Amino acid sequence: MPEPYAPPVQRQPFEEGRPHRMVRVVNTTDGDWIAHVVQDIPLSEPGPWKWTGQKPTVKVVARTNQGLRYIIDFVLPEVTFKVTGPVTMTFLVNDHPLDSVRYTAFGEQHFEKVVPPEWVEPMKENLVAASIDKVWVAPVDGAKLGFILTRIGLTQ
Amino acid sequence: MWQAFWALLGAAATVAACYAAGALMVDWAKAPLKKPERFPLSFVLGASILHLIVFAMLALQIAYRPLVVAMLAVPIAGAVWKGSWKLQGAAVEPLSRALKVFYGAIFTAFTIYYFFHSWAPESSPDGSSYHLGLVARYLRAHGFERIITNMYAGLSAGVEMLYVPAFVIGKHSAAALVHYAFLVALAMAMFAYGRRIGKPWVGAAGALLVYASPVVGYDGSIAYNDCAVAAIVFSAFYWLEIWDESREARLLIPIGLLAGYCYAAKYTAFVMTIYAVGFVAWRSRTVRSFLVVAGCAASMIVPWAAKDWIYLENPVAPFFNKVFRNPYRRVVSEQEYNDYLSNMGVENKWTLPLEVTIRGEKTGGLVGPIFLLAPIALLALRFREGRRLLLAGLVLFVPYFANVGTRFLIPCLPFFSLAMALAISYPPALAAVVLFHAVASWPPIIPRYAAKYSWRLDRILWKQAIRKIPQDRYLRQNFSGYGVARMIEDTVPKGAPVLAVNGLPDAYTTHEILVGFQSAYNDDLTDILNSGWDDSRQPTRRMIFKFREQAARRMRVLQTGVGAPLEEFMAHEVRFFSNGSEVQRDPAWRLRAWPNPWDVHMAFDNSPATRWRSWETASPGMYLDTDFGKYEMVDEVRLDTSFDYVNLRLQVEAMEPSGVWVKIASDPEKKTIAPPVAIRKWASRELHARGIDYIVMQDTDWGADDMIDDPESWGFEVIAKGYGARVYKVVAP
Repeated sequence: MPEPYAPPVQRQPFEEGRPHRMVRVVNTTDGDWIAHVVQDIPLSEPGPWKWTGQKPTVKVVARTNQGLRYIIDFVLPEVTFKVTGPVTMTFLVNDHPLDSVRYTAFGEQHFEKVVPPEWVEPMKENLVAASIDKVWVAPVDGAKLGFILTRIGLTQ
Repeated sequence: MWQAFWALLGAAATVAACYAAGALMVDWAKAPLKKPERFPLSFVLGASILHLIVFAMLALQIAYRPLVVAMLAVPIAGAVWKGSWKLQGAAVEPLSRALKVFYGAIFTAFTIYYFFHSWAPESSPDGSSYHLGLVARYLRAHGFERIITNMYAGLSAGVEMLYVPAFVIGKHSAAALVHYAFLVALAMAMFAYGRRIGKPWVGAAGALLVYASPVVGYDGSIAYNDCAVAAIVFSAFYWLEIWDESREARLLIPIGLLAGYCYAAKYTAFVMTIYAVGFVAWRSRTVRSFLVVAGCAASMIVPWAAKDWIYLENPVAPFFNKVFRNPYRRVVSEQEYNDYLSNMGVENKWTLPLEVTIRGEKTGGLVGPIFLLAPIALLALRFREGRRLLLAGLVLFVPYFANVGTRFLIPCLPFFSLAMALAISYPPALAAVVLFHAVASWPPIIPRYAAKYSWRLDRILWKQAIRKIPQDRYLRQNFSGYGVARMIEDTVPKGAPVLAVNGLPDAYTTHEILVGFQSAYNDDLTDILNSGWDDSRQPTRRMIFKFREQAARRMRVLQTGVGAPLEEFMAHEVRFFSNGSEVQRDPAWRLRAWPNPWDVHMAFDNSPATRWRSWETASPGMYLDTDFGKYEMVDEVRLDTSFDYVNLRLQVEAMEPSGVWVKIASDPEKKTIAPPVAIRKWASRELHARGIDYIVMQDTDWGADDMIDDPESWGFEVIAKGYGARVYKVVAP
């Protein structure tokens, strides 16, 4: 048995602290982004910008359903926009439409909105998607292109 | 290419030195060896001697490269000078051409796989972590270090001592090649044994049953030690048989050395020490013979036990910590570890025969389907040799259930294989059995019946072995742990320790990797880290004991319940109150706890990220004791803990002036409390306070998601990322 100990130096509490943020965003530069893809994001697409199909969908596991926000960064490319004209994007969580936004100009876009807790099941795979109403059809091979995705997911 | 050359040279020099040392002793002992016995028995005997010399060099802190190389040169020069180097010995009956061709062809085919695999860059999990990690560490320090953060440093490492000189010259692959040399020696010894008993077909068949076995081939061609242990225990048995024929007293010395070397090589092989000492006592019936063998065995065992006793306060570390209580290894961690090894996910032990012979998934590898026929070995009981083989095999089989990994069958495999062959004896039948075994064990065939991820060789790594494919490139592409180790080496400042939840190939980094479960200190660090994200480890429950105010000089919280297995007594904080005000902690206080008296301060440090734990299943009599040094008025005691108490019963006691403890409160009021918002920063601050500023988390580790999500809330910064892992630096403790 060792000799009894004196109490150690007392730790002082932190004066400030903020709640932990959960982030479940699939970033196309992440090494494991492919594992999250469910549909309409070609896995062979090189580089960080991924051309999508009509309804790109990813799956993410959230530890909580409290205080979550849907988040997406994407680009409406000039080349397709010239053909399709203004498009309407619908943002979905587990197939629940969170919002629809009409975009009348091409370029980089960001969308973010609070997700109702009951739409998300903690510790299970949840589907996060964005759907575009009009796709561009390639004249050569008939490929349908929606938009360019850089990140999509849930954050707290 | 040079790496390949040095690896071969390192292994060759070490094997040559072992053989030379052994041959010198064989000639000194006038051992009546036959010619085929000369190399394998001398090599293993010499290994036992050389291991002790390396141990001495490390203990004396003189393991410098020139001295280590000279240490190898001395026995080689001595053997050449004395004429012992020559492969000499009594002639034996020549082998038939059929035997030479049939068995030679099978041996050669498997050798191609094994040799190149052992020569290729080392990427085995244990080989690249503790087997060689500790060797590399000792060499950096030029001797043993007191390592309290890695339980594997407490294991006897008689085979790894031979990896030291090999590593000095040829690094990791040289060590694996030395291990492979033991496997070859084992096969040669088994073959020679068959020839000694006049049954060369039995020896050849027994040897190939072992040599071609999938788990043996894989294990023997990496820097593990199981095949070396098999060679050592079989050599001890072999020398006993030779002594029993000749009764030459000098032979008792090699027998004793090898018997002790069994323990020095692996704790579980200690049963062979008992066998050897018991065999000599039984057959000689003289105290002198017994003492010679026991004394020589002790010369091999005592250094290891003494090292552990001095460094770790436990001569058999990392086991029996409840007997040899110490602050370096937890009872409950040992229990969990032992439970896992004795189970490995095989709930129904009756499925073990199929698991270890055919599937090889849960227990890591397979010995081959032919060993389902092992019961036929009982037919060998009709021969005296068979009875002895089976007895020795049975003795070595006894410890198997402490670790049901397939490779832990390797030490008893030579005995059962020879007994099986002896039972059959008829050469054509033996040839058929061996042919079936060879086909079933041929690496491309194994996936057709074994589990997908069973431990096995899959291709001939000749390009990797000769480094036509550069070592660094091969390892980065095929062994993610290597990439992580190199990432740590590149980004963490020299000398800084790194906390990891799971093991990493320490042998490829100079940093000390503190792996969660590998010591008491690491257990504490991991517990602190996990308290940041895991609410089951956070202080969320408060037990409040209220009682009539009284003056007390000494009080304790006593646990009286019987915990469920692994249910511990734990306390984040213990506080004393008087009329609602906390009795301020004073440097004059004296704190005690039982068990785990060493961590009692963690319940009195005002940190929600640290806690005192019993680290063993709760039982009546455990306590946290505070001596105020003077009388204090107290009417309330609060104990903050986690919510997972079910069977625990706590009471507060005060010590009367007579020294008798008197219960003053039980049945506490229980409240749920919220952990601090900045609990993650509390955790990182505690790690920083303990000198831990770098943490490596693999993306699949428990808690990794939490840190990936929001490193800032931990006070962490990601300084490297890749190979499925991240390295964090504590930046805001």
